[in-house]
Amino acid sequence: MSEKWIYWLEELSKADNDLVGKKCANLGEMTSLGMRVPPGFAISVHGYEKFMEESGAADEIRRYVRDNLPLINDVKRQVAASRAIRQFVESKEMPRQMEIELHTHYVKLCERVGQEKVGVAVRSSGAVSMPGQMETYLNVKGARELTRNVIRVWSSAFTTRAIAFRLAQGMEMEKAPIGVAVLKMVNARCAGVCLTVIPTTGDTSKLLIEGNWGLGESVVSGEITPDQFYVDKTCGEFECVVGDKTKMVCYGPGGTCFANVPEEMKRKPCLEEPELKEILRVAKNMEEHFGCPQDMEWVVDDDLPYPENVLWVQARPAKYAKKKESEAEYLAELMSRVFKM
Amino acid sequence: MKIYDVVPGLEFDPERDLAQSPAWFLDATHSVPPWTPMFGWFWINFCRHGMQYGAEELSLPTVKGWDWRFLRGGGYLTLLLVKSEEEKQRREVAFRSRILPFIQDYDGLWNGFVKEILGRYEELKALELDTASNIQLLDNFEQTINTCRRMWEIHMYMMYGTYIAYILFENMCRELAGIDDTSPLFHNVVSGFDNKVFQVDRRLWEFSKEAASKGLDTLILESDPSDIRKKLEETEKGRQFMKEFRAFMNEDGWRMQRMSEMNLPTWVEDPAPALGMVKQFIVKGGAFNLEEERKKLGDKRAAGEKELLSKVPSEQRGWFEQLMRLAQKSGIFSEEHDHYLDLYTHAMMRRSALGLGKRFVKSGAIDHHEDVFFLIPDEVRRAGINPDQFDLRYIVDRRKADWAEWQKTPNPPAILAEGFDLDQAMKVLVQSNDPIALKVVVGSMPQVRPELKADLYGTCGSPGVAEGTARVIMTEDELHLIKEGDILVAASTSPSWTPVFSMIQGVVVDRGASLSHAAIVGREYGIPVVMNVFEGTTKIKSGQRVKIDANLGTVYILD
Repeated sequence: MSEKWIYWLEELSKADNDLVGKKCANLGEMTSLGMRVPPGFAISVHGYEKFMEESGAADEIRRYVRDNLPLINDVKRQVAASRAIRQFVESKEMPRQMEIELHTHYVKLCERVGQEKVGVAVRSSGAVSMPGQMETYLNVKGARELTRNVIRVWSSAFTTRAIAFRLAQGMEMEKAPIGVAVLKMVNARCAGVCLTVIPTTGDTSKLLIEGNWGLGESVVSGEITPDQFYVDKTCGEFECVVGDKTKMVCYGPGGTCFANVPEEMKRKPCLEEPELKEILRVAKNMEEHFGCPQDMEWVVDDDLPYPENVLWVQARPAKYAKKKESEAEYLAELMSRVFKM
Repeated sequence: MKIYDVVPGLEFDPERDLAQSPAWFLDATHSVPPWTPMFGWFWINFCRHGMQYGAEELSLPTVKGWDWRFLRGGGYLTLLLVKSEEEKQRREVAFRSRILPFIQDYDGLWNGFVKEILGRYEELKALELDTASNIQLLDNFEQTINTCRRMWEIHMYMMYGTYIAYILFENMCRELAGIDDTSPLFHNVVSGFDNKVFQVDRRLWEFSKEAASKGLDTLILESDPSDIRKKLEETEKGRQFMKEFRAFMNEDGWRMQRMSEMNLPTWVEDPAPALGMVKQFIVKGGAFNLEEERKKLGDKRAAGEKELLSKVPSEQRGWFEQLMRLAQKSGIFSEEHDHYLDLYTHAMMRRSALGLGKRFVKSGAIDHHEDVFFLIPDEVRRAGINPDQFDLRYIVDRRKADWAEWQKTPNPPAILAEGFDLDQAMKVLVQSNDPIALKVVVGSMPQVRPELKADLYGTCGSPGVAEGTARVIMTEDELHLIKEGDILVAASTSPSWTPVFSMIQGVVVDRGASLSHAAIVGREYGIPVVMNVFEGTTKIKSGQRVKIDANLGTVYILD
């Protein structure tokens, strides 16, 4: 029996960072803390290494590097190297046994969410942050397409920037600690962020939830004014500042794209009270668990019933200190004026 | 003469000290009636140290704290001003970073200090005074001195930082929301917080409920506070009540009857004042619910906060709300610091000094254990390890005679250089922008408005109008004389007076400012407080009907 290289998110935790990469480990950790995340599984770095060795891609890369190394110190040649190496990788078939295992997991995932050929997002999950490893392929349907896109994510370890980075760091060319996340595509009715601290004041008694229709990208993009919900952590009372939601981000044939929000939805709050309550519940748990204010990304999936529809895709410590700092410094300056009256 | 110095190095010397500063003010809030020598030694040395420490640690731009002198049992103080513009600017730059801990994590800062000082008290209390060796007793006394010194550092550092925020908040409320500190909205926003002193009061109120449920209320109502304990101990139910009450005292009874003195028993030694408060709550009646009263204030505050914030332009709301939260700590700090700092440290001073005093009596160095309060630490050290070798009675005798003299003629409210008048002196205080001068010591001066035809003019500590019977109270042991609906007239008030605020209709105090005890507690209880009337306790007699209008700062004697 060969080494295990595919894991359900439920099997993972933060400790598995080196095994499956940061994104997958985070999602696993979130699951273990009781947050609902999009159903899915992770391909470990061993999966990558196994593929590279067994398919022969690793050998080809080693040969290419041996022949060209002295030459690839300039950008032009790095671009050429990237093109060549990605070509080697993407032309390889996935070894038979690996493909069977991958497909078995995909079928199980389809069964879990009750959809045949469920659409998935295939994302890279680096164990160390490396520039250029941001490849994401959305709405991938069917086993064959999945195989192809997993290989494309692996191949993204050889973008020009990633190659330059490896050279600069003196890292081996064919080695890349890269994991892959395979997650059910969320049918996002709305999405956004949730901060357990008001970033402008440092007030930790309230939650700030920002959201818009469609995918979450629009909320952080600054292109639109999202809805803002200030929720009192103790009593759950909330205040809603409805944003002027003119545009939203949707899946299109070529990935995500901006679309106009229908007139009647522009001034309608994108979240309802029960959903706010669910977000509040989870956010409070997370903050308590980590002991510091959290910055979290949520999405409401239209395919699922409440409360299973409130999904989480990211949780990290909130960056509010800097903002708070400047407020505090402003206040300190005002206080110094007390002595000038 | 040297031996008569009570606070060596800091005795008032008219010639030298008036050359240093033309105006010295009596701290009437704390040093009237005059202090015992030992207490004066502690206060003058360390309150002075604490104020300068606090001003320096925060790098206050315009002041370096205060200088203190001792004169006939009174504390006289004057400001230490920053002299050059260049130095002011330098200090201001540093101030902006030194004040940040207050803004960033006020509760963490204060709770850390509380933990530190409570830890010191526990160490001091760990020594069994009756069985300790002389060396251990002396060591305990030295540690007490250090604790008092540290207490004042924390006290003044926190007080300066906290009150600066409060002053800024008052100013900003005027500028941005158009309300001043006589506005009910302002008062609603800064009151209604729970704090340690209220928690103690709540326990006393609970004891009054328990006394009623045990059928002990009539006995308490019919007894003088000083007899309550004795009478309770005569019945089984009463003994049970006192057992619980003593347990409570051991935890929260480490406080003095008079806030700034050590010659009266602590509640632990003599629970009569605390039992007197239980009695007050019984008088107040069964339907009175302290808990509900507190909750009402909390609700009012929440509504007030919303209203106030809505008056502030939205782009300013972020820091304004942060400032509001900070200013709200002032009331909590004012009450809690008395409990955790002054009252508790003074109780520790009394405990440690009496431990030595009893040993001195045994060896014949002094006649009575409380005579130790007429010695200063250097003299205590003289006999500390070998009290049988020294006779300190001649020092005690002379000091006692002096102390008796001090009681007869009150200290003047200010000592001024020739050609310098009180108005000028007050101006200097106000121009210093020293937060403690502005908010606690002097406050603003009352405006005499003849057209109002009032008998006394003061300033507004808490808004409102009331009419009732005046009750002039000079010391805590007279508090039980207060009846429901009275108007309290006092020189000033301190935390142990808090419970009577639930019975009275209004307050008139001789001295005080908007962060003095009477003003803060008056706001908590929603009753009018007129302060800085200077002559309230001399002009008003108990039993007279008076009308007070705190909004205008006027007091009318109707009889």
